[in-house]
Order: sequence, then C-alpha cells, then structure tokens
Amino acid sequence: MKTFLKWAFLVALAAFFIVPLLAMARFAFQSVPVILLTPETALQGWSIDPIIAAAQEPQMWAASRTSVLLAAFTILLTLLLLIPLAIVTEIKAPHLRPLLTALTLLPWVVPPIALVVGVAVTFRTGAPWFLASVFSLVPFYALWAMPFTYRALDAGLQAINARTLYEAARSMGAPFATIVMRVILPNMTASIVAAAALTTALVLGEFAFASLLLKETLPTFMVNFQQSQARAGLALALVVLLLTAVAISVVVRALRRRGLSVQTTGL
Amino acid sequence: MKRIHPDTRIGLLVALPFVAFISLFLLYPTVAIVFSAFTPGGDYSVAGLGRALSGSYRQGFINSTALAGTTAVIGGIIGLTLAAVMRTLQRPRWLHSTLDSWSAVASQLGGVPLAFAFIAAIGTQGLLTKLFNQVGININDFGVSPTGFWGLVVVYLYFQIPLMFLVSLPALNGLRPTWREAAALMGASGARYWLRVGIPILTPAALGGMLLLFVNSFAAYATAYVLNPGGALVPLQIRFLLQGNVISGEEDLGYAIVTWVITLLLASLFLLTFLQRRTLRWTRS
Repeated sequence: MKTFLKWAFLVALAAFFIVPLLAMARFAFQSVPVILLTPETALQGWSIDPIIAAAQEPQMWAASRTSVLLAAFTILLTLLLLIPLAIVTEIKAPHLRPLLTALTLLPWVVPPIALVVGVAVTFRTGAPWFLASVFSLVPFYALWAMPFTYRALDAGLQAINARTLYEAARSMGAPFATIVMRVILPNMTASIVAAAALTTALVLGEFAFASLLLKETLPTFMVNFQQSQARAGLALALVVLLLTAVAISVVVRALRRRGLSVQTTGL
Repeated sequence: MKRIHPDTRIGLLVALPFVAFISLFLLYPTVAIVFSAFTPGGDYSVAGLGRALSGSYRQGFINSTALAGTTAVIGGIIGLTLAAVMRTLQRPRWLHSTLDSWSAVASQLGGVPLAFAFIAAIGTQGLLTKLFNQVGININDFGVSPTGFWGLVVVYLYFQIPLMFLVSLPALNGLRPTWREAAALMGASGARYWLRVGIPILTPAALGGMLLLFVNSFAAYATAYVLNPGGALVPLQIRFLLQGNVISGEEDLGYAIVTWVITLLLASLFLLTFLQRRTLRWTRS
C-alpha cells in the first residue's frame, strides 16, 4: 500500500511534468488543429518541418551563439571571482563563511526585473558605451549565478575537508599556491561542474534583463520568432529545453560514474 | 613601513575584486534606485513611495504576493514530499540522476519554453482543455487558463516543485537513520516518528525553502510576460513603467515600486538566513 502510494505520487508528478511538453510537441509537430483531433486523426499530419524551418533561420543560430558565449563568459567570471574567495575563506578565515554566505545571497534581493531599472538610471545615462555590446550582460548574469555557485563551491570544500588537506600538505612543506593548484582545485571538479551546469541553465533561460535592454539572446529571439511562426517557435523552444536537460544529465552521469557526487542544490 | 601579514595580503587580493564587482554592478544601481525613489523630481519626498502602493499598483502587489505565496506553499509541500519519497527509493538509479538534472533545468530554464508548453496544454486551443471538454468539464471555469490565477499557479508550480526538491535534499539527508532506529526501538510508529522528530527538525529548512520559492516567483517575469503581458503583476507593471519612461513623473513611480520589491525580498532573505542557521544546528556533522 505504502509503495503503491509512493509510485502513484511519482507517476502523477511525472504526468504533470510530461503532459505540457507532449501538448507542446503535438502543437509543434502535428498540423491537425485541436478541434479536429480524434483517435482517428491522432496519428495524422506529423512532420518535423517546423524544426527544420527554425533551423533555417540564420538569426536563430546567431542568437544561440550569443547565448552560448554569454553562458561561457558568465561561468568564467563567476568562477574567477568566487573560487579564490571560497578557498581562502575556508582555509584562512573560516569564521567569515556565514558572512560570505549572506553576501552572495544579495543578488537575489535585486532580481533582473528590478536591477534593469537601476541599470537604466546609472549605466544607460552615465556610461551608455558600456551597454552597447550584448556581452555587457555578462557581469549581471554572473551576479545572479553567485548564490548557487558559492554554495556549490563551499559544499565541495566542506566535503573534501579542505582545511585538513591544507594542513597536511603544509606540514609536508608545500607552498600555498602548490596546495591550491595540486590538492584543492582538482578535488573541486564536481562542484565546479554543478555550478557551471546551473549557470548555463540560468543564462539560456534569462529573458527579463536581456529583453528590457533590447539584447537579442536565445530566449528573446524565441519570443519574437514564436509570434511570427507559431509552430516553428514552439518546436525550437521544446528542442532547446530538452537539449539542455539532456546535456546536463549527461554531465551529471559522467561525474557519478567517476564516483563524484554532484549536488545541484541552490542552497 | 609596517609589514603586511601575508594572510592579510592574500585576503585582500581575493576580497577586493569581489567587493569591487558587487559594488559596481549590484550596489551602485540599487542605491541609485532607492535614492531616486526618495527624491522624485529632485526633492526629498515619500509621496512616490505612497503612490506605488495605491490603486492598480496596490492590486499588483496583492496579486503578486498571493501568487508567490500560494505557489511557495503548494510547491514547497509537493517538492519536499518528492524529496522524501525519492530518498526512500534506492532501486531505479536512473531515476535519481534524471530527476536531479531535470530539476536543475526546470527550476532555472523555465521561463519562455514553459509558457509555450502551457499555452499548448491549457490555452483555449490546448490539448487538456479539449480533453476535459470531452468529458464535459470546462477547466477555464475553475480559473485554470494561462491568464487566470489558478492557471498561473499551475504554470509556476512547474518550476517551483523542482526548486524545492533541490533545496530540501540536503536537509533531508541531515535526518540520520539512527534517529529513526532509536524511535523505532522505543516503540514509535513511522507516523509518530515523523510527527515528533522528522517534521520538527525539518520545519526550519522547509520554511526556508518556501521563502526561497516565494522570492523566486515574486520576481519571475518571463513566464508571466509571455502568457499575459498586460497582467496586473508587479514585474509586468515595472516593465510597463520602464518602457513608458518618456512620460515624466512615471519613472519615479517605477523607482518607488522597485524599492518596495527590494525591501520585501530583503526581508524575506533575512528571515531565510535566520532559518538556515536553525537548520544548520541539526545538519552539521
């Protein structure tokens, strides 16, 4: 009975997650209007033309390229800022960890829709050249990636007992830089990958900030494209969603196989 | 010259770029908004802040709070239950990694594709709308349409449940099996164990998770914008004021609304940090 309830719950939840995607797939890839949909017509009119139409859109490739580059730069910037900070805090000043945990949560106080207003009064009037390039989004995306990136890195440092490792290496005479590069960093792969995966999902999904600063990224392109080509737009959105999910799941599984547990937790 | 301790030097070396970064890209724009909100038209006044909580803007705050609160509580309970159920299941190992990755994607990537999916499912021409019509139920009558309140709740749950699942995993892992065994040895049933031990220990973490869900959905923009750009929700009203900022005076209203949003979210996250301290007391190994 208990097992039955558990599985009933899981199946109901799976249906909640899958049915909207199926409805989306049907609308995108089947040309039969929903009014005419009966068991007899359920298998008619399926074709992959909509996604081919989306793939033939040069702007789609340009927007995808922009979003992928944005994700890469954002990951790089967040990690460059936070890895040294997380390691030094853990080793030299562990009493400052709660402060850093609270500080890195601050970006969530000012979500994209709020910060974009601040950017309009500061950078747009004071330094408009800064917002000219689409890559001016990178520092802001790095901000919103900070809360979960710091937590992933900190969890990784706790899990490997970084302070003990540091003291052990130190007692054998290794200098600080060597310890960080050869002992601590190689042990943090799992948390770095987890943070990178979440950052990728964040950047590929962020719409408010890019849209209000009139930058063309994959999400803003998708909204415009869907308005002109409804079915191809839906097909594209579905493919992007599933490809990202599959990519992240492949990475998580590869790490698991190497015995690294991945905590994709936000907090 | 006084020599700087090497630890201090390395501390400064890693802290300065971080502080400079936060100051320039987060604090500077934020302070500018709050300052502008208190000085509409150049003079100190709180009139703008009052106007931001009246009329249709008050309704926006009420709607957004109701939506964020409802989805935080429902999503929180379902997400926590999901995490608890998954913890008891060892066997299909693929299910764990699939759910982990799916949750990471669904909790972040949501936005635009999610709105499209629900238009296809519960829109006027949606597949589910049609299916329920066949058995004589009009789901729009229950407010379940992509623009109705319960429709938005359903759509938001799609990213709230995975987020809660991710957030509550560590807290659940903090419940040690030995506690359960100890309770069983003393004759407590499963239900009694949860009532007396499990739930009291999980409560701070669960409330913290729900607060995070609240913050997450209060500020959510993409989904709401695609479903109904003219809806009476705070993020959509901010967009409206920001894009219509040619009319003088209206931008001050925008700053005032954003100031209220920041205040609300700051208070929520303060409470969240406090609750996390309580959680840590039990999950520390």
